[in-house]
Amino acid sequence: MIGLLEMRRRKFQFGLIAMIVMLISYLVLMINGLGVGLNVLAGSALRNFNADAIAYSERAGLSVIRSEMSQESVDRALSAPGVTAAAPLGYVAANYSDSRGKIRSAAFLGYDPGTIGEPRVTSGRALTAGDGNGLLADRSFLKAAGLDVGDTVEIGLRLGVRTFTIVGEINEGAFFFQPAVYILRDTWRDLKYGDMPAAEQPAASIVLLKGKGVTGKFDDYEAVNKETAFANIEGVSGQQSTVTSLRAFGYVIGALVIGVFFYVLTLQKISQIGVLKALGASSFYLFRQVLAQVVAVLAIGLAVSLPLAWATERALQRLPESVPIAFTNGTFVTTSALLFVTGLGGALFSGRQVARVDPIIALGQQQ
Amino acid sequence: MTATLEVSGLSKTYGSGEQAVHAVRDVSFATEPGEFVAIVGPSGSGKTTLLAMIGGLLTPTHGSIRVRGRDIAHLRGRQQAEYRRRSVGYVFQANNLLPFLTARENLMVVNAIGRGSRRAASARARQLLEELGLASRAGALATQLSGGEKQRVAIGRALMNNPELVLVDEPTASLDSQRGRQVVESLISEVKGRDKLGIMVTHDMEMALLADRILEMHDGELHQRARGA
Ligand SMILES: Nc1ncnc2c1ncn2[C@@H]1O[C@H](COP(=O)(O)OP(=O)(O)O)[C@@H](O)[C@H]1O
Ligand SMILES: [Mg+2]
Repeated sequence: MIGLLEMRRRKFQFGLIAMIVMLISYLVLMINGLGVGLNVLAGSALRNFNADAIAYSERAGLSVIRSEMSQESVDRALSAPGVTAAAPLGYVAANYSDSRGKIRSAAFLGYDPGTIGEPRVTSGRALTAGDGNGLLADRSFLKAAGLDVGDTVEIGLRLGVRTFTIVGEINEGAFFFQPAVYILRDTWRDLKYGDMPAAEQPAASIVLLKGKGVTGKFDDYEAVNKETAFANIEGVSGQQSTVTSLRAFGYVIGALVIGVFFYVLTLQKISQIGVLKALGASSFYLFRQVLAQVVAVLAIGLAVSLPLAWATERALQRLPESVPIAFTNGTFVTTSALLFVTGLGGALFSGRQVARVDPIIALGQQQ
Repeated sequence: MTATLEVSGLSKTYGSGEQAVHAVRDVSFATEPGEFVAIVGPSGSGKTTLLAMIGGLLTPTHGSIRVRGRDIAHLRGRQQAEYRRRSVGYVFQANNLLPFLTARENLMVVNAIGRGSRRAASARARQLLEELGLASRAGALATQLSGGEKQRVAIGRALMNNPELVLVDEPTASLDSQRGRQVVESLISEVKGRDKLGIMVTHDMEMALLADRILEMHDGELHQRARGA
């Protein structure tokens, strides 16, 4: 393979292209990781709900913040046809003081023990009916707050401050870009609506539903599947289109840079390509040489950028302030595959250039 | 016996209208197997153009070129490339080696773009480098070779595919006369030993006199030149 031999002999030029491929793919990977990471922050707790669908009050417009369901609505949702299990859930954002006294905010979710709304406790213990001043804190909450199971934490809501004990740790993620904290639904109701007469207090923000065919618009509530619910979280759709366009730019720039680089390299070699053609090399043979070079450059670039991106994510996770970058295996696979395809597409230009070279130029320098 | 090469009524015009250059005009000649022909003539007389048409690099405007009876004048694309790969060994006026390859690899390129066995090619490359006095330079990059060495590597490359036609365009341009004579003599013995045809364009009369026959070009026309003239 002359193409690969050429790469070995011209290490500097090809090393430079491989480095650029590496940097671009690293950038695209980090953008992808940011997309995944932001989605985790936006609503991993919602995605982790043990439910098929989520019911909102009729006029909430699929907003968990605006949704308020009365006890009658909750009961109707619980007994709707097809529903095999259901659980009311309350949501409220509240502030707390971390271990250094700094005010931060968290997403408080009120649930009833024993229902599908109950999170899985990873250490410590679960809440029981009497734990009005207990809470289950997400891993990310404990990390950000610098607190541990058994510690107490001051929660501020409305004008008052209330002290809670962290009785257990969970791993449910975040909600509305805040770490999730689970409390009893009665406690939630008190925190959010404590100054209203008990008869007027809503019973829940949303209802988690399990079962087939439970989505749709009903008399006084609207139920959608989890993916729709996720996409309707405030800010998610804007954030996703931003990340998607950044990613698309990354691929386009990658294809252009690789394409232009190989194009220029090919232009520089026109006379050599002419000689090979004059010796009888087919365009197809020469094209294969270019292709082998592009594949090798892409492979080398990705072989460096993938582990580098992975290591970056690891390093970022060790920082006390969490940076929203996360990878799934899918991120790596689709990013590599797409970069490969776009890079090859960019290199096709050079292939066309190769096909057009006239072997007659081998006679060169005759005039 | 069929002539190795039979050129008849061959013409090449570059451009058209007022800018037309009639580089080769109505050239006809034939050769016998094992013949080595020299072509001489002033610069611009059409020597390279004639050689390029015979070598399948240029398509003639008129005329035919028969190689062992087969007209190759109007081959195109893939077939023309295959003709060059199989039947022609061409030494270009500029040596045109690939700069990032060694002397040996420049010979092996012919094998890479063709189909033959790699081991046979490797043996042939070694033998050719030996014959051309390049054995000790086999591993040197083309850019590190002297002008004369490059020219000899180019000749070795032209012989790699064991071609029927060996076409050489002013090979002695960068060879000293002692070495030049040796190289031309080994080219001639290669052609004679295997009943091939050799055509060499040269401006060096001493070299031309080593050939069986000298043809002279003038303003695109070809004339037989009497020996000793
Ligand atoms: N590609 C070309 N386009 C136009 N004119 C050309 C081209 N190649 C050669 N010529 C002209 O054709 C004539 C013959 O050129 P060439 O075959 O190179 O002669 P020689 O090899 O004897 O010096 C010259 O007048 C040259 O300028
Ligand atoms: Mg010439």
